[in-house]
Amino acid sequence: MASRPLVRVTAPIALLLLGVGCRERRSVPPAGGYEEHLSAGGLAPPTAKLRNPHARDKRSAADGATLFTAMNCDGCHGGGGAGWVGPSLADGRWRYGGTDGALFQSIFDGRPHGMPAFGGILSPDAIWKLVTYVQSLEPPADVPTERWP
Amino acid sequence: MTHRRVVVVFVSALGAMGAGRVPPAAAQRSGQWTMPAGDYAATRYSTLTQITTANATRLHPVWSFSTGVLAGHEGQPLVVNNTMYVVTPYPNVLYAFDLTREGYPLKWKYRPAVDPNAVGIACCDVINRGAFYAEGRIVYNLLDGHTVAIDATTGKELWNARIADVSQGETTPMAPLVVKNRVLVGASGGEFGIHGWLKALDLATGRPVWTAYTIGPDSEVLVRAGVFRPFYGGGTDLALTSWPQEVWKNGGGPVWGWLSYDPSLDLVYYGVGNPAPYNPEQRPGDNKWTASVLARRPADGALVWAYQFTPHDSWDYDATAEMILADLTIGGRLRRVLVHFDKNGFAYTLDRATGEVLVARPFVDVNWAKGVDLATGRPVLDSTRLTGASRGNVKDVCPTLEGGKSPASPAAYSPRTGLFYVPTNNMCMDYQAVPATRIAGTPFIGANTPYHAGRGGHLGAFIAWDAGVGRKVWEIREKYPVWSGALTTAGDVVLYGTLDGWLKAANARTGTVLWKFKVGSGVVANPITYAGPDGKQYVAVYAGIGGDWFLLAGDVRSDDPADVRPPADFMPDIARHTSQGGIVWIFGL
Repeated sequence: MASRPLVRVTAPIALLLLGVGCRERRSVPPAGGYEEHLSAGGLAPPTAKLRNPHARDKRSAADGATLFTAMNCDGCHGGGGAGWVGPSLADGRWRYGGTDGALFQSIFDGRPHGMPAFGGILSPDAIWKLVTYVQSLEPPADVPTERWP
Repeated sequence: MTHRRVVVVFVSALGAMGAGRVPPAAAQRSGQWTMPAGDYAATRYSTLTQITTANATRLHPVWSFSTGVLAGHEGQPLVVNNTMYVVTPYPNVLYAFDLTREGYPLKWKYRPAVDPNAVGIACCDVINRGAFYAEGRIVYNLLDGHTVAIDATTGKELWNARIADVSQGETTPMAPLVVKNRVLVGASGGEFGIHGWLKALDLATGRPVWTAYTIGPDSEVLVRAGVFRPFYGGGTDLALTSWPQEVWKNGGGPVWGWLSYDPSLDLVYYGVGNPAPYNPEQRPGDNKWTASVLARRPADGALVWAYQFTPHDSWDYDATAEMILADLTIGGRLRRVLVHFDKNGFAYTLDRATGEVLVARPFVDVNWAKGVDLATGRPVLDSTRLTGASRGNVKDVCPTLEGGKSPASPAAYSPRTGLFYVPTNNMCMDYQAVPATRIAGTPFIGANTPYHAGRGGHLGAFIAWDAGVGRKVWEIREKYPVWSGALTTAGDVVLYGTLDGWLKAANARTGTVLWKFKVGSGVVANPITYAGPDGKQYVAVYAGIGGDWFLLAGDVRSDDPADVRPPADFMPDIARHTSQGGIVWIFGL
């Protein structure tokens, strides 16, 4: 149908990462129960305690950027995660929380309104690389205020 | 002045009698609006005469209603039996307003169960293009691949048929067309690698009668020997052999635009969307019948003729825009034609019995092709504007993949003026194709396509077009792309909306703007007109910016504190003039 100016972040496709993923699929248990996210405020869900093993690693973030394109994440979240049909991942704001565990769970289990569950086709390690990439996106300096001359 | 108008009426009445093959529906004559374009010929022309160029300045709002939904409000209401029917974007609520009572209170509203996962599968906002009234039923599509028929009097669901598979990337925002007892529906998903189709459902039960794919072997495309007679070229399995093996199965070719119908030829016409993915090097060949117009028999779906506007589309030039049926004098002969304003920037006038191209001229700036060869029907390409992953970033292709005109924004045709009224975009793009991998239910695209303003710097214009010769007669320049549909009337008034939230009325002969009103949100819907129970003529339209502009100008949203986006670089100030919002407006004199 229509449009999509997306900025491809990296050179295409490292499906090798997927191959590794299939073998490692069950090496980390699925993230915590989904209902626990439904409470408004209060207790942090148990998955929030998961730690990203690649946190702030630039090489992992670059691998994650490759995956972001190869898995068509940019098709919904836009080039550079700037937002498209799916929400922006580059504004420093999170519908389901921005902790390591919350981001992991969003990708692994999917979310309402069309976020697919990639836990079935990506390894936990590949998902952590995607988390690392998303966490590497710098929010713009002044998101809240939009002003015209 | 009066004298001149009388002459004009006389001439056009003669023309109409001579033509006579696409008569306005009886419903139209009685001042109702029963189908998306008002009539089967898709003219969006009303015979109502109360609103004129002399009194349009007196138009004023008489009623408004918030739909409670913020997504893009495309499509248009229906008015049948003094009731106005409004379908919202997802979650696709159907409202029935009683026009006989003060304040137009609801008679009922129907709230369907719609799978929220469809929200993430809809390429370009969760819009809906409207409903169709037939035999006491309101028939329309839910976003999640279902068609429903609702009793127009009681609001009760008569049937609910699953027609599409969201898990494969199919969603269903299009408006159905009902011909005889067939409900014709298609699916979106050109950005998800679907295998596109048009289906006919039984109006009484919703059961499928036939499915005609746009791509594949003749048996699936419903090509039958002796029935299929294209004007240009022929042969068997054209929609299979013009693709690499296996690739066609995810080749797109969605059907998400408008359908029209000629009762005398008994042919249904519709356009087919883009091939998938956007990187053309993954699909060598013409990729039939993507970016094409198809003419089918409604009874059995058999393909009678087909014509491909953009062979091997390399720019996302869907051909899903409306096919307007008119009878025009061309080269001294009265011809039964089909007029189509394609995303690719050419306006086509075709013989609608045969598919012969009679006129093909650019209606906006076009540089991907130098023209259309009328002997072969093929575009004459500019090789420097061909795209593909190996070609890198191809700069300055005009028009953009939003189209010279958006298929979401249907044009109108007045038999009185003989002119077509066309919302247009004045934008060009860079096109960087990259390889794409299909993963079912995720986007299958493969291109980076930033936009910039075309010549003159304005992003859009509303134009009048003479389709007999292929010539622009007048234009109203707009700062932003024009994404509403057009409406024209026997009062020689033409109406359209703007992205920054104006509804405008103009003189259909001169293009002089007569009146405008700020409707609260950008207009991506299609105005209609009808006669109310008091006998007066009214105009109705939705406000509610969205569709592609929900994606391209993400700063018009204010509903999600966890999703805050910068403005579009080519259109940095649209959010200064509009935010999202869904409002039904009615105007009167």
